[in-house]
Amino acid sequence: MSKITSSSTAEYFAKNLQQVGFSSPSKAVLTTLKEAVDNSLDACEENEILPDIEISIQKMGPGASRNTDLVQIIVEDNGPGLEADDLAKVFGEYLASSKFGRGRCSRGQQGIGISAATTWAQLTNASGVRVLSKTKGMRKAVSAIIDVDIKANRGVVKNKESVEWDKPHGLRVDFRIDGRIVLNGDGGLLTYLEGTTLVNPHMSITYKLVDQDEHVVPRVASNVPDIPPATLPHPHTMKLGEFMTHAGLFGKISLENFLKKGFSRISDATLKELSKKGVPKAMFSKNLTAISEADYKKIYQALHEVELVAPSTRSVLTVGEEGLSKSIQRLGEVDFFSVVTRRPRICDFKPVVVEVAIARFRDRPSENDNQVQLLRFANRVPLQFDKGACAITRSVESVNWRSYGLNQPKDSLPIGPYVFAVSVTSPFIKFKNASKETIDGSEDLVEEIRRSLMQAGQKMSRHIRAEDKAADLERKIQHIEKFGPILVAGLARIVGAPKARETKAEEGLKKLLGRDASSAEAELDKATSQLKQLKDKERQKFGMEDEEAEAPPAEEGRPQEEAAAELEAVEEAPKGTTKRATKKTAGTTKKAAGTTKRK
Amino acid sequence: MPKIRIRELTKDIEKEAKILCNTMLGDLEKAKRPVLEAVKCTLDNSFYSSKVGFLTAGDKVVKTELNVSSVQKMARTIFMLEVMLGNLKSGAVNTKRELYYISKGLVRSNAFNKPLDFDDQPESDAIIDFICDMLEVYREEMNCFANDRGGQTYSKNLVVTETLSDGTTANVDLGSLGTSPFQPKNKPQQFRLKPKKGKIEFCLIIESEGTANTLVANGMHLRHSCIIMGAQGVPSNGVRGWCKTIQDQLKIPMYFYGDLDAYTLQNIFRTLKAGSAASLIRNSDFSAPDVKFLGVLPEDVKKYDLMCYSVNEKDVAENRSLKKAKDALENDPFFQDKKNRRLAEILHWLVREKKRCEQQAVFSVDPKDPQILEKVIVEKIKSGSYV
Repeated sequence: MSKITSSSTAEYFAKNLQQVGFSSPSKAVLTTLKEAVDNSLDACEENEILPDIEISIQKMGPGASRNTDLVQIIVEDNGPGLEADDLAKVFGEYLASSKFGRGRCSRGQQGIGISAATTWAQLTNASGVRVLSKTKGMRKAVSAIIDVDIKANRGVVKNKESVEWDKPHGLRVDFRIDGRIVLNGDGGLLTYLEGTTLVNPHMSITYKLVDQDEHVVPRVASNVPDIPPATLPHPHTMKLGEFMTHAGLFGKISLENFLKKGFSRISDATLKELSKKGVPKAMFSKNLTAISEADYKKIYQALHEVELVAPSTRSVLTVGEEGLSKSIQRLGEVDFFSVVTRRPRICDFKPVVVEVAIARFRDRPSENDNQVQLLRFANRVPLQFDKGACAITRSVESVNWRSYGLNQPKDSLPIGPYVFAVSVTSPFIKFKNASKETIDGSEDLVEEIRRSLMQAGQKMSRHIRAEDKAADLERKIQHIEKFGPILVAGLARIVGAPKARETKAEEGLKKLLGRDASSAEAELDKATSQLKQLKDKERQKFGMEDEEAEAPPAEEGRPQEEAAAELEAVEEAPKGTTKRATKKTAGTTKKAAGTTKRK
Repeated sequence: MPKIRIRELTKDIEKEAKILCNTMLGDLEKAKRPVLEAVKCTLDNSFYSSKVGFLTAGDKVVKTELNVSSVQKMARTIFMLEVMLGNLKSGAVNTKRELYYISKGLVRSNAFNKPLDFDDQPESDAIIDFICDMLEVYREEMNCFANDRGGQTYSKNLVVTETLSDGTTANVDLGSLGTSPFQPKNKPQQFRLKPKKGKIEFCLIIESEGTANTLVANGMHLRHSCIIMGAQGVPSNGVRGWCKTIQDQLKIPMYFYGDLDAYTLQNIFRTLKAGSAASLIRNSDFSAPDVKFLGVLPEDVKKYDLMCYSVNEKDVAENRSLKKAKDALENDPFFQDKKNRRLAEILHWLVREKKRCEQQAVFSVDPKDPQILEKVIVEKIKSGSYV
């Protein structure tokens, strides 16, 4: 009989990196970038810092593996930085996270991604990640290389030294990995960066990818999103095993305390209901460790029979229609767009918010007979693979886009030069795999996404209608010019009419058809005016700059001067260091100096 | 070349067309919208009276007023009208397809006409039909003939005399053709018919041409002084005109034998007997009101224990046919007429029973007798078992 051995978590992931997004050289580059950027954004938001992200991806030569390049991925932020003692844990240890199971809408959740990136660098280039970190409390920055001790699942710090860094605080990671750079397409780096830019209006980002020009995308929102408080899990979302494991986290407390403190929506009234369902009153005062498995099952079953209030929706975070509207303009020259942020809803006892942005860009060459470009997001992280299996794709396909003026083959994505961005945010998103590439959607969630899409579709259809009317007018004018003279000439030939009659009839025809063109013009004017009303309404709602006006309009409820002054400050000040932002950052760096584990 | 006549036309097409065009031109000179009017050829504009015997048009008309949307159709109409008037003048005859290519050629030879170019034949066909409806003339009267084939016809006792274009006549003795059919083309109204000797007892129109061939192969037309014709499904103008000619000239009983289903009753039998809504202006010369429905009748199913099929409501075509039957009972003036009450009852039976019986089911009555269908048909005629 063979000997049974146990392996460390790091060992498991080192052998199964494909499960967490490192299944090919091109995905490895994307996943590494994604993990680093997600961590930076999460850290900045946790500490109420407006993020300034700088990215550089370069080829350094051939990779050690066949058909790969040695790729350098550098991500630098102005976040709180990490204390020297935390570097090993953050970058070299799996499942060491400050976010695991907290019930917050953070991008990272489990503490796997960045350690997996370090492992990939180590496996393919024999060196972990180079880190440069400085917290507000440090005089000098700390520089080190972090490796993963795969057998022991812990980080190993190498070449640690103090260095000068002119940033007040921040973090810079430098991965050198075997990979392949793919810029465009669903799984491309540019698609990721565009997606991240769209759903993070408060972020400014600078990126230089291989031999492309450096791109600087300034922020369009000057407020860090309010991260809603964490929420406790709702009992109806758990399976028996999860319920018991959850109990195990609470140690020696009574069942009553466990139920009240470990879950949302459990009150004294619920406990009374549980008694009625057969849970003995004495059980509530029993210590968790003294409860048998059979009793756990009874309690669990009773809990599922009791009707509970749906969980609170306060724990979900939104980008907001205003943010999306402004952010979408950063992706290119927008022809038209429509955005929808739904109110938070409960789907399968989990709070969820869905946001949709639909846009058409003037500067994007896109074939009219291609499917729309679908950008999917889960907790503001772009999902770029396995599109067909995702609940978002299913929802888009289930909408009848023809009624909004788009072509759509049966059960498929609609056709046209549009970008559809759909974002699902929830503290409890269910993914189909560990690499978080597709959302596993229930019927409830699919329906909620569907409704959001339909709302956005209704707004979009006004643009399309106006375009149709314009095309109609053009067609009618063409008809007049094309067929009028032929008709008159034909009639004159049959009748044998003289030229004078023909000329007079042509003049009469022009008058008649001109009237029709005028009525088409009137219809076009009506559609254009309806569209303008919608745009004005949205502009007013979001305090956006008028396309034709020079001065920015006042934001809702604020004097115009104040809004203009703030906008000016944001534009002129160095990236991420507006007065307001610095103040906030300064007031919160203490928190940052804590032991926030960045995934 | 003498014009092939279907009826004695009282109107001068060329003159009428010129008046119409002159009015249109006059309207345009006054910056007034010209309007083209055509008979509305739909069921809601169809009327039926058993005294008249076929569907006639009501007062409804389709008006095409000149506007930016209709200017293309009007320009094309005038363009095609000019081509057809040219044919009338020269005596040239064309099919719809030939007219399509003629118009393509005219467009190619004159860039001015390029916007009129037809993308495909259905576009030019629709314009030709519109012109005929507008002038209330048959397509044939505009010298446009479709490739309509009359039904394959067999008889040992029928002689057909045809006047040819050079004025001479040709006599066709159907009895001398053996088992080869006589099949008139699209001008059956100009034939002169007479029995070779004695009297022709009846004309039998069989829905399936194959079954008509079987009856002939087994010698039915030799044993009876009759005419047997295969209708080839929905009757073409050729079949309809041919039946009308037989009915009017020979004045003999006419019987139709086909499947017992809604499609046969509505689309085949009704068209043969009373015409269709789509051809309201030509029903008077293209329907044979004396034709009786010989079967298969619901009582035949019972009497001969005929094998039926259940109508599968999941089958799109069969389900559509049932729906059409219900619709016909509510809206078709032919089935609503009191004289056709028994035909309407058959439709009711079909809707209620959701069954259909094929004309060939009679062969199951006595599988060893190849003449069983002939025997059943003759028995039904003798006993008056028809509607």
